[in-house]
Amino acid sequence: MSVDQGVFRPASVDEAVSVLARLPDARLISGGATLVAMINARLIEPAALVSLAGVDELHGITENPDGGWRIGAMTRHRDVAAERRFTGTLALVQQAASLIANATVRNMGTIGGAIAHADPGLDYPPALVAADAQIEIASGKGRRRLPASEFFVDWYATALQSAELVTAVHLRAASDGVGLYHKLARVSGDYATVSVALTMSSGVAGIATRAAMGACGPTPILLEEANALLSGSPGESELNRAGELLAAAADPVDDVRGSAEYRRLLIPRMLARAFTEARAAIGART
Amino acid sequence: MSAAFESVGRRLPRIDSREKVEGRAQYIADLTRPGMLHAAMLQSPHAHARIRGYDISAALATPGVHAVVTGDDFAGANRMGAFIKDEHALAKGKVRYVGEPVAAVAAQTESIARAATQAIRVDYEELPALLSPDQALASPVHIHEEVGQYFKVFDAGSEGNLCSRTELSEGDAELGFRESDLVFEHHFDTQAQAHVALEPCGALAEVDPQGRITLWSANQSVFRVQACVAEALGLPHSRIRCLTPRIGGAFGNKMEPHVQPIVAALALKAKRPVKMILSREEDFETVRARHPFRIRIKTGVKRDGTFVAREVEVLLDCGAYADDSPGVLGYGLLCARGPYRFPHARCHGKLVYTNKLRFGAFRGFGNPQVSFAGESQIDDIAEALGIDPIELRLKNILRGDDRWFGGQQLFSNGVKECMERSRDASGWDAAAPAPAAPGRRRALGFALCGHISGLLATGAIVRLLEDGTVVLNVGANDIGQGSDTVLSQMCAEALKVPVENVAFVSPDTDGSPFNWGTTASRVTFMTGRAVVSAAAEVEKQVKLHASEIFECAIEDLELVSGGAVAVKGVPEKRISFFEISKRAHWFSGGPIVGSNSWVYDRPTIDPKRAVVIGLPFPKIGAYSFAAVVVDVEVDEVTGQAQVKRAWSACDVGRAINPMLVEGQIEGGFAQGLGYALFEEMVWDGARLANPTLMDYKIPTTLEVPYEMHSIIVESVDKDGPYGAKGVGEVCLSPVPAALGNALRRATGVRIRSLPLTPEKILRGMLERKQ
Amino acid sequence: MSRDLPVNLEINGAAVALEVPLTETLLATLRERLQLTGAKRGCNQGVCGACTVTLDGVAVRACLSLTLNCEGQKVATIEGVAADPLIEALQQAFVDGGALQCGFCTPGQLIAARALLSQNSDPSVEEVQQGLSGNLCRCTGYRKIIDAVLSAARSMRK
Repeated sequence: MSVDQGVFRPASVDEAVSVLARLPDARLISGGATLVAMINARLIEPAALVSLAGVDELHGITENPDGGWRIGAMTRHRDVAAERRFTGTLALVQQAASLIANATVRNMGTIGGAIAHADPGLDYPPALVAADAQIEIASGKGRRRLPASEFFVDWYATALQSAELVTAVHLRAASDGVGLYHKLARVSGDYATVSVALTMSSGVAGIATRAAMGACGPTPILLEEANALLSGSPGESELNRAGELLAAAADPVDDVRGSAEYRRLLIPRMLARAFTEARAAIGART
Repeated sequence: MSAAFESVGRRLPRIDSREKVEGRAQYIADLTRPGMLHAAMLQSPHAHARIRGYDISAALATPGVHAVVTGDDFAGANRMGAFIKDEHALAKGKVRYVGEPVAAVAAQTESIARAATQAIRVDYEELPALLSPDQALASPVHIHEEVGQYFKVFDAGSEGNLCSRTELSEGDAELGFRESDLVFEHHFDTQAQAHVALEPCGALAEVDPQGRITLWSANQSVFRVQACVAEALGLPHSRIRCLTPRIGGAFGNKMEPHVQPIVAALALKAKRPVKMILSREEDFETVRARHPFRIRIKTGVKRDGTFVAREVEVLLDCGAYADDSPGVLGYGLLCARGPYRFPHARCHGKLVYTNKLRFGAFRGFGNPQVSFAGESQIDDIAEALGIDPIELRLKNILRGDDRWFGGQQLFSNGVKECMERSRDASGWDAAAPAPAAPGRRRALGFALCGHISGLLATGAIVRLLEDGTVVLNVGANDIGQGSDTVLSQMCAEALKVPVENVAFVSPDTDGSPFNWGTTASRVTFMTGRAVVSAAAEVEKQVKLHASEIFECAIEDLELVSGGAVAVKGVPEKRISFFEISKRAHWFSGGPIVGSNSWVYDRPTIDPKRAVVIGLPFPKIGAYSFAAVVVDVEVDEVTGQAQVKRAWSACDVGRAINPMLVEGQIEGGFAQGLGYALFEEMVWDGARLANPTLMDYKIPTTLEVPYEMHSIIVESVDKDGPYGAKGVGEVCLSPVPAALGNALRRATGVRIRSLPLTPEKILRGMLERKQ
Repeated sequence: MSRDLPVNLEINGAAVALEVPLTETLLATLRERLQLTGAKRGCNQGVCGACTVTLDGVAVRACLSLTLNCEGQKVATIEGVAADPLIEALQQAFVDGGALQCGFCTPGQLIAARALLSQNSDPSVEEVQQGLSGNLCRCTGYRKIIDAVLSAARSMRK
């Protein structure tokens, strides 16, 4: 390991994990977009940094033999936003990445850094939850995987334990269908006021839908009951009911982006638009 | 007509373009001096508290710290204020808002200074926080206990937490309402907007061995900085020299002082140059912002649409210090009648101290708020009468040399042309308007307003150098709008020399003639006129030389292109400025200097027409006009409004540089768009909740329509230089109302509070459905 | 508390060896240590874009980059791109088209526009708007900036 006093530059995940285990006050730095903003705002003052730039396995997007995908934790938003191979139900991951901040910040920020920060207004969390992504986590004990829905646990809190780091995001193979990410924000590049991420595929039993709402509580909201209502051959009443359930499950805040009440109001409305658009896209295809 | 001009009317690049595109323009943060220290401030955690004492020993003992200043360093009598002298350089005796500067440290580095501020202990005794004008008016607690004793430049009527009050009337409004067929009355509210000049405020002070201060800062007027620092430190003006680097935008934020007196005090104490640059958060929390207004507006009309009477009552949140607020109140009221004929009008209001950041000058100066109310209501009246809103306005606008509210005559009037050209360009009357996308609604909206160009004092000095080229010295800061270029063009025009032969002097209180400031849309009009008059002095002198050389009468001579004098009708009989200036420098008459200074001299009020109480500015005027049409699309799902296209027609008298005029119109539109749709400073109790660019959003490339069409109307003002008037503010003020009117036409929803958020629009649409 | 640590960079074509604190940003290094003041501190949170520079050819926020984390990388600022024909075309288009007012955001706009045009030599209005959406300007309303970028792109294609 190259040790430059306060900056550690591990060449492998194992090295990174051992540094973290040894130095609990060290902070991981990937793109810097979040960490450095916090340093500049004097919210944190790390004693040591662990740069992940030299860990090869954390970089890049690779296709698994089963058609699934592994997105290395250090993959920049820019590269996910430009990923044309994320088709069908996976298109929402690419769409979410393309709406993060702006082109320059997308050159810096990484998927691992973003999800480890777990700001509820971020674009990735609802998209990954709707896509049923798995988060790969490394620790001294090896690797584990968690569904995205279990990874995000509270406001700015994840299932990461100390001396753990996100190594990759795994996406299952795309189904032939539609993935959509819609975001309402005050201006381009702002955190979401409300966002909706939705995948829809069609099969013999009708459509299968997964929907997650972002920025409406500490973590993305996905309800199996709502997904069930939105699957099969749902009509307007099922769609309305699903929207009501998601709104009832929301725990939004009043902030400068909108009131809690407005966010609750938007949930069924934005869900309905995304659902209708996805259904029309599927209909157009079949 | 403009074909006769050589420099005026040309789309010349700004003279400071090159240094700016090469990254070589120097702003305050870019300046350094040998041995310079860096400063940081300690801000108040309380909205309202008495300061019992300080312990600065730990801060002073911090390695690298050279000086600490607190309110104790400023004498009690040394208060600043443009209208009411109520403010010390640092909180003294009391803190009056969260974030107020309480102490400051000069140290080896910025981070040492910032850390040392946290070592200062302040003993506070908390007082009740008064966070709204209503609360403050009702409270026995006074934010300024000694308001009665403060020096005031006009009859402000200050009492308790009432900072000032103004009332302005013509005719008899009550009689007018009785004579009206229909009377409309509505309440409007506007929010606090942050200036967000991309450059945060800052200053650098250096003290010479004689104790004289040289002060560079981000500012809109070196002379205002000089005056305020002199007041704050109790020094004569002659002990302070103020200079300006390039200014990274201002919009009113840098007109009155921010940290200049603090930095000057630190430099005096540390005996070293000191620089302080605010963080974005400090800039949000401590400088100033646009006033929230509460407005009641009542308008009486005849059934045929003739306007009869208007009453406007406003309540302004002043924040903790008066700053420019009394001016904003008075000016807002002067604009509240709008550019319309009303036989009867009464506009009155109050300004109330609260425990918030001071509110102050911001592009528009009270006009955007009252125009939002007035222009929204006119659309509602048009709707009630079944008259097209532009037709209704055309029926009532000021015509010809009609008078503005208060009685000042118009010397140019492009109102009708602004209206017609924006209307026609936008296809307002088209049978088939642009279609909305599915799930969206779309409509055009219109609004109109007028704004002054003239007030207070300014000057210009034009000198011929030995070789006959020119130096122009005016003391007016270019804050980004392009006045250096525009004034150079006017000077070049007046002397018929190429613009590149005019050197522009950076404002310097030691050498430049007084200029009150780059503010109030006044520099082109006011300083431009001084430039033209000073150039005329030079013309007189060069002609005198030529008349001696050619042995002819001065009346037989004329300036000719390229910087020369010729005998009229005999072009070959000419002599260049080069030869004349040589003669003047070495043989006869002495170097040629032309100068001029003036103060705007047309009274605001004609006492035969209007009655006024508490007028902060007896002489302002010279009105510009703007008409705006916007094309807005509203998302039915979220309520979010998007501006698809816009047309803004501005009567600027004459466009000295049409490219720079367009820049003002486009930029003013964008700033008005942000104000109208989403910009809002939000307080969580007494604390500003969004003092960052993460949380306070201004428009990006994706919110401002690319199809933003500037339309320049030239009415040629008899008072203005080459007929020019101001444009900097008139282009912003009608934007919120135009957007609100488009939303109304698209959705049926009338929103009477800014900003026009998706939340308010959606609620309105849902309520209408029920 | 923090000691200075060594770092090696290439800045505007010149190798630079520095010792800086752990949390020093590239923006602070450029402006305060190297007197390269073309990149501006407008917000220090990565929002305004006035500090945009390129790192190994990619546009980034200097205020969100830690100098120590740029070990071995190539930094280019507005001062260092002077001889590049693309930046020259952009600078001239900004000058001629009145695409700047106060100028504080201008170096960042130019670096971002250069990054955009080096990937897309013939962008649409919408693509320019997208490419520059992270560079705030409070003066111009953006219209003239977009037109200048389009005009520079045209002149480069000729």
